[in-house]
Amino acid sequence: MDRKETVNYCLDSLKKAGADKAACALNISEKKELNVEIGEMTLLRTTFNTNMGISVIKDQKKGSTSINKTDKESIDVAIELVMGMSKGSQPDDAYDIAEYQPAQSFSKGDVSANLDTMYQSLEEFVEYVKTTYPQIQLEQAIMDFNHSHSLFQNSNGVDFEIREGMYGFSPFFLSKDEKNTSSFNYTGFSALKIDKPLHNYGTIDTLLKQSVEQLHTRNIKDKFIGKMVVTPDCIGEFLDFIANDISDGKMISGNSLYKEKLDKKIVHPKLTLHSRPVSDEIADGYFVTSDGYLAENSTIIDEGILKTHLLGLYGSKKLGKSRAVNDGGAYIVDPGDRSHTDIIKDVEQGVLLARFSGGYPASNGDFSGVAKNSYYIENGEIKYPLIETMVSGNAQEMFENLDEISRDRINFGSCILPWISFKGITVS
Amino acid sequence: MKYEHLNQFKDNFSNYTELRVQENRNNRVNLTNGNVTSNFAATNSGVSARVFKDGNWGFSSSPDITDESISNVVKTSSENVQFMNKKNATRCGFFLPETQANHEMDFSTHKNRQNQKYWIDFIREIDGYMEKKYPELLSRNIIMSGLDMEKSLFTSDGSESYSMTPRALLYLILSIEKDGSPISIGNPWGGLGQLEDKFLKPADYYFGIDTLVEKLKQKADGVYAEAGYKDVILDADLAGILAHEAIGHTTEADLVMGGSVAGNYMGQSIANPLVTLIDYANTCNGETCPVPVYVDDEGTRSEDVIIIKDGVLKEFMHNKDSARHFEVDPTGNARAYEFSDEPLIRMRNTAFVPGNNNLAEMISSIDDGYYLVKTGNGQADSTSEFMFAITMGYEIKNGKLGRAIKDTTISGVAFDVLKTVDMISSDISWSSAGMCGKKQLIPVGMGGPAIKCKVNIGGR
Repeated sequence: MDRKETVNYCLDSLKKAGADKAACALNISEKKELNVEIGEMTLLRTTFNTNMGISVIKDQKKGSTSINKTDKESIDVAIELVMGMSKGSQPDDAYDIAEYQPAQSFSKGDVSANLDTMYQSLEEFVEYVKTTYPQIQLEQAIMDFNHSHSLFQNSNGVDFEIREGMYGFSPFFLSKDEKNTSSFNYTGFSALKIDKPLHNYGTIDTLLKQSVEQLHTRNIKDKFIGKMVVTPDCIGEFLDFIANDISDGKMISGNSLYKEKLDKKIVHPKLTLHSRPVSDEIADGYFVTSDGYLAENSTIIDEGILKTHLLGLYGSKKLGKSRAVNDGGAYIVDPGDRSHTDIIKDVEQGVLLARFSGGYPASNGDFSGVAKNSYYIENGEIKYPLIETMVSGNAQEMFENLDEISRDRINFGSCILPWISFKGITVS
Repeated sequence: MKYEHLNQFKDNFSNYTELRVQENRNNRVNLTNGNVTSNFAATNSGVSARVFKDGNWGFSSSPDITDESISNVVKTSSENVQFMNKKNATRCGFFLPETQANHEMDFSTHKNRQNQKYWIDFIREIDGYMEKKYPELLSRNIIMSGLDMEKSLFTSDGSESYSMTPRALLYLILSIEKDGSPISIGNPWGGLGQLEDKFLKPADYYFGIDTLVEKLKQKADGVYAEAGYKDVILDADLAGILAHEAIGHTTEADLVMGGSVAGNYMGQSIANPLVTLIDYANTCNGETCPVPVYVDDEGTRSEDVIIIKDGVLKEFMHNKDSARHFEVDPTGNARAYEFSDEPLIRMRNTAFVPGNNNLAEMISSIDDGYYLVKTGNGQADSTSEFMFAITMGYEIKNGKLGRAIKDTTISGVAFDVLKTVDMISSDISWSSAGMCGKKQLIPVGMGGPAIKCKVNIGGR
């Protein structure tokens, strides 16, 4: 069977087995991955992967399974299992599958990668780090190219096909001299093409430079309440607090702080947050949602007003609210008016937070954690890198007390994020 | 699925080679306020080969487990290492230490396997108990999950092993509303074994649930911790995560080679002499550990690693390549999560060794501090600076337990904190719900007695 026939066979078999509604998603991928370990190119990986996800609804009871084989026998066994799982579950009127949409095919990126070119890019990066920042230990760096072919069909006639090739790069590093070791740091990006030196992507060169500075850290003198300027590498963690709080899990359990806040102000009016999985600006987006709908771009927060929850099909039916037009992610924050360096010049006392090592914010939004790879700011100047410094506050209140958003932003391939400053953060 | 005849492919090996067939089976049911929000099972299996030559590695994997695909992954891995060798010959002449081990260990249940309906009904009964007894709860989230990891390994050194290592977990997350905001608490039960061996009847958990709800109510009425440098008692869960995150990671030999601060301290006194810390391979005090490893994924017999003995840093954890670098024996810490993952240096069961104190005398020794009981997550750094989320704890005032505290975070530099340890309890408790992340996920065991030390605590 070819791949299309395999998905057809799975859906037909599910119907014959008595499924009222069924969906099947097949993903076949091949990844080439070059690894640097302790500053040396040491490993080349070639991995072939298959994933077949099967969901079934029978008498409004649902079961789901996934296997990584596509032969008939394996599919038959999986269908018997998933039918039994649905039979043994509890009925829920909210279970459903995506309704019919016209068939479509999508493709983006390269079909295959030139391994010699990948090797050369990574080798040049290793050499750049060694010569430019000799104190940096490149603990690990991974460059990969993944090509995938995905098919999604369901019993309502949904039929989507996607071919996608994507490069990824993620360095992990620290600095070391005779006496001192800096905190480790990491970053990364995704791209459809590699057309410039790796250190020129995202924030890589900035973080390498800062790593060397962070060999010599200091404590703050006294606890204070001040501003916190969060860098693009770090702001995603705080935006995720809002995203998770408006998604199925928190909304269905009743723990969301924003459950009844649609079309109401939830953050400062300076913040506008989009999810744009099918934007040309975002290389590493997606065409189809996990429920089998064509993904669309959306504005989640418009000038501080919550415009949509991020509910999937189940969550929307369960709560009687609108289904989101995408699965979230691919976040783009609208830029502000001033550069992040100008924003820092206005900070009387605060912290430039570049990495947050802390617990996920509590249900009520309270958070506290260590300011890693971060700097103390005083009288508008970055003074010194910090050690053993904690920042704490409440994520909900923090976004209400947002101070400024930078004009300059970083495109990581999967999101485009600015520097954002917040008031009223406890630094200890 | 035990794969019996991997050694038939040895003629395909031209260099040092590891050949592994692996199947991971996951199942998970999730009940949120009585609704089945997940009813899922997954099987992921395949074959991988890793080849070493002249300091470079080639790896390949395939989900197909046939003679042809097994031969193909060996061939592709060999081609990958040739590619690397052609590009970089500077490590030519490096040889890995040879190890040989043969072992089979199967922790499968001997009971009849139950279907997913049985487990859905099981957690619905637990949910029914909570719904009836505690209508004041804002949310009830119950997750029951099982993970079976089954591996067959053959190496060019002649090691052959088979292991079936399951883990079964029941996890509760409960919340209550306080002043318009949700307050949450969670607790895991379970560990080594399949669901049928770990979970006998729902009523076994009612006392634990009653205790958890009581703690949740205490927390809802709790106070913010006072930020600062404080005397604290880290209960077993916290001591375990301190052992794993803050000390364990810095003493993984690959991270030492990458610049971890522990590299500066070998043989030096880095902790109070009361402190001994061990990464157990499979057995502690005659009991099987939560994540027992007998032969690692490089075919090395797994040995205990005594990281700190009586306050002195003694050993790092090794795979073959780091053992070659440090000119020591490999310790059997190389483990991979999926068939498509290469083995990395990973901890197994990391714990402080118990001391001679009891909890009551430890609490009574503190005038102004905290007793910290539950942790959400933890992270540590190459510098050994760590942070742990605290999801349950109490004030200690004048030697007595006081009010509960709200969620907070503790931090410190582990090698400094260990010097402040002055009391260790005589019991040990293991936690086996943890998944460690380091390029790949992997199940780990963490444990310990209660430890009295000084840390920074966040607050307002």
